[in-house]
Amino acid sequence: MFNNAMGLILADNKKISLGELSNPRALSAMPFGGRYRIIDFMLSDMVNSGIKNVGLLTYNKYKSLMDHLGTGAAWSLDRKNDGLHILPPYVNSEASAIINDEELTGVMDFLRQSRTKYVIVSASNVVLNTTFDDFIKSHEDSGADISVMFNRDGTKYGNPSYIIETDNDGFVKDMLYNPPKPASSKSSLGILCIRRDLLLDIIAKQMAHGITHFGIHSFVKMYDELKVHAFEYSGVALRINSVQAYFNASMSLLEDSVRADLFSEGQPIYTKVKDEAPTLYFDNADVSSSIISDGCRIYGKVEDSVIFRSVTVAKNTTLKNCIVMQDAHISENCNLENVILDKNAFVRPGVRLVGHPEYPIVIGKGAGI
Amino acid sequence: MSKADVVAMILAGGQGSRLGVLTKKIAKPAVPFGSRYRIIDFPLSNCVNSGIEIVGVLSQYQPLALNTYVGNGHPWDLDRNNAGAYILPPFQRNGSSDWYKGTANAIYQNRDFLDDYNPKYVVILSGDHIYKMDYSAMLKAHIEKGADATIAVYEVPWEEAPRFGILNTKEDDTIEEFVEKPAEPKSNLASMGVYIFTWDVLREALIADEADPDSNNDFGKNIVPMLLNGGKKLCAYRFSGYWKDVGTISSLWETNMDILDKPEEINLVDRSWKIFSRNPVKPSHFIGQGARVKDSALTDGCRIYGDVEHSVLSNSVVVERGAVVKDCVLLPGVVVKEGAHIERCIVDFGTIIGKDCKAGSFVEGEGPYTNKKLCSEGICVFERGLKIKDGAVIPANSMVDVDVEVPEDQAIIESTFRV
Repeated sequence: MFNNAMGLILADNKKISLGELSNPRALSAMPFGGRYRIIDFMLSDMVNSGIKNVGLLTYNKYKSLMDHLGTGAAWSLDRKNDGLHILPPYVNSEASAIINDEELTGVMDFLRQSRTKYVIVSASNVVLNTTFDDFIKSHEDSGADISVMFNRDGTKYGNPSYIIETDNDGFVKDMLYNPPKPASSKSSLGILCIRRDLLLDIIAKQMAHGITHFGIHSFVKMYDELKVHAFEYSGVALRINSVQAYFNASMSLLEDSVRADLFSEGQPIYTKVKDEAPTLYFDNADVSSSIISDGCRIYGKVEDSVIFRSVTVAKNTTLKNCIVMQDAHISENCNLENVILDKNAFVRPGVRLVGHPEYPIVIGKGAGI
Repeated sequence: MSKADVVAMILAGGQGSRLGVLTKKIAKPAVPFGSRYRIIDFPLSNCVNSGIEIVGVLSQYQPLALNTYVGNGHPWDLDRNNAGAYILPPFQRNGSSDWYKGTANAIYQNRDFLDDYNPKYVVILSGDHIYKMDYSAMLKAHIEKGADATIAVYEVPWEEAPRFGILNTKEDDTIEEFVEKPAEPKSNLASMGVYIFTWDVLREALIADEADPDSNNDFGKNIVPMLLNGGKKLCAYRFSGYWKDVGTISSLWETNMDILDKPEEINLVDRSWKIFSRNPVKPSHFIGQGARVKDSALTDGCRIYGDVEHSVLSNSVVVERGAVVKDCVLLPGVVVKEGAHIERCIVDFGTIIGKDCKAGSFVEGEGPYTNKKLCSEGICVFERGLKIKDGAVIPANSMVDVDVEVPEDQAIIESTFRV
């Protein structure tokens, strides 16, 4: 609970695209699980670990992220000391044309100003509910320079994947990027623990070598020169690497065991509060095995689906295996199966759309059908 | 402190004894309502939506839950630099200390708070009504008519008028007389308990009222008649939207059911007049396979595997497989175990209805908890934090209260716990 650590989250991932779903937003701002954005999980994990200083490294499409985060109050990160810091590219009007290290300059300043011993660095494509107490303890006990969290999901979630091999003491001896035939199922979760001063040193060296981009796995790759220890995470960790992975991860929330792990009582996941009305189920509503958020009006049939806030499902309409984001409206007499509807999508009466569970149909933000 | 035009004061200190066990541990304004809300969310949200940002909440009876709930006012945007929500409990002063003796006395005791802001107008509200109202429109009428006090009124059916405080008015809606619960009403304009006073006028009246040892220190009984006798101009302000008093078990139940039966009347989905509330931080609710949910209102954290029909569920309610919940109001964290069947029940925080229990309006007869004084229309109420024994049978009009002594062979409470 009283960890001497700060947090650094990468808001986007240049290697991951969710197609049309990625157009309006950074990966971390992707809506997930009915009332959350992906970043809510990592932010809550950090806050639940007693971390009070979190930096968010962004480089583009950060409007929707900023709208969501506001002052950080929803995560109790609106603090006088520390709190939530959004780190957009550092643009220096005089030098930006010559020096191309904006992304790292901003991080350096943020890291320098902190007083904590450790930094927890995280990618934006992973959904898990944990505290970092054990991770930090293991990092200290192992005497490592860098610790990386992994689980044994291998390449199950598709690319990008970082497969690591470890020696008998759990130190990383090899790391492979998208290996065609992985020799190990140990897959990095993209979450690191590292001493703050060491991280500053490494970034300074990287900048001196002309590297401009902050890459989590560039640190893991230093296993030849530094001691990089691997820490196994055994809880549920969902990676959002593609539209398909997003769809599968969302559907896995319908399993009691996954929900019990991701929404455990003592470690709440915080998110922006929207003050929607309660959801109303009307006379002919028929809902089963589904996650439903506040503010919805359900007249029709919903099965095996994840429904976000303020969605309307009209009469004689059936949804099966669907993900329907905030404010979407599905009119009467529709039949949707294996469809992802982005925010504000509008489906007119009588539409029939059937995707495949291994290739769901995506309807973009605000689209009308 | 900076000056302000308007300050609102919410009278939230009353016990609400007609709600029985529901207000044993918490003040009435903090009682959950309508799946997502507490009763006080309505006046608080109305204030903010009307542009009133200085709100005093007068608390006295069982203030812990209310004070924690209102907190710094953040959920209602009432955490402002020079404004916001202020909890105002009774306090000790040099030489004396008093509980709030009545509604008027509560304001009298907090005249320093008001004087610091020195507002032109004070809005007095009560914490036990469900309605959406624009106080700024009422204030506009108050100013335009040059009134000293304006009282919001609601036209009630004539036959119900004897239950209310009734205002007799002239044609231009100036008030001639206030009659508390008249046997033969001359008007059907009921006071909604929403007042706007010009502060100078009210201040003087409060001081005069306090000096009268025979006064009940009550707005309706004392202040309003005093102003009328003193020749002040009091106007009625007609309100025609949805307005319900939730002071009794049956009215609390009915008003909850209105959310299902008349959703367009209270219109909680109106984004231009949102009702804000403190969020429980729970995941979206989950409807399991084989569950049946219809005609109901649900919110975050609920997990439903059984049948829920025509019911209002607060956050984190669990209804297990084979359980039947009909016409019920379940407050946060209630668990209805497998095979239990409840109808017309109001179940308070966290109580666990044991397996195969039967309770509510469809169970005939009387039991040790039958309480026809508070419960009517078959409604059953369960106190918070109880584990009801498996297979227990609780007849209509019962109020299950841990403090009622029950012969051992009729005991239905297995244990109690803190929630």
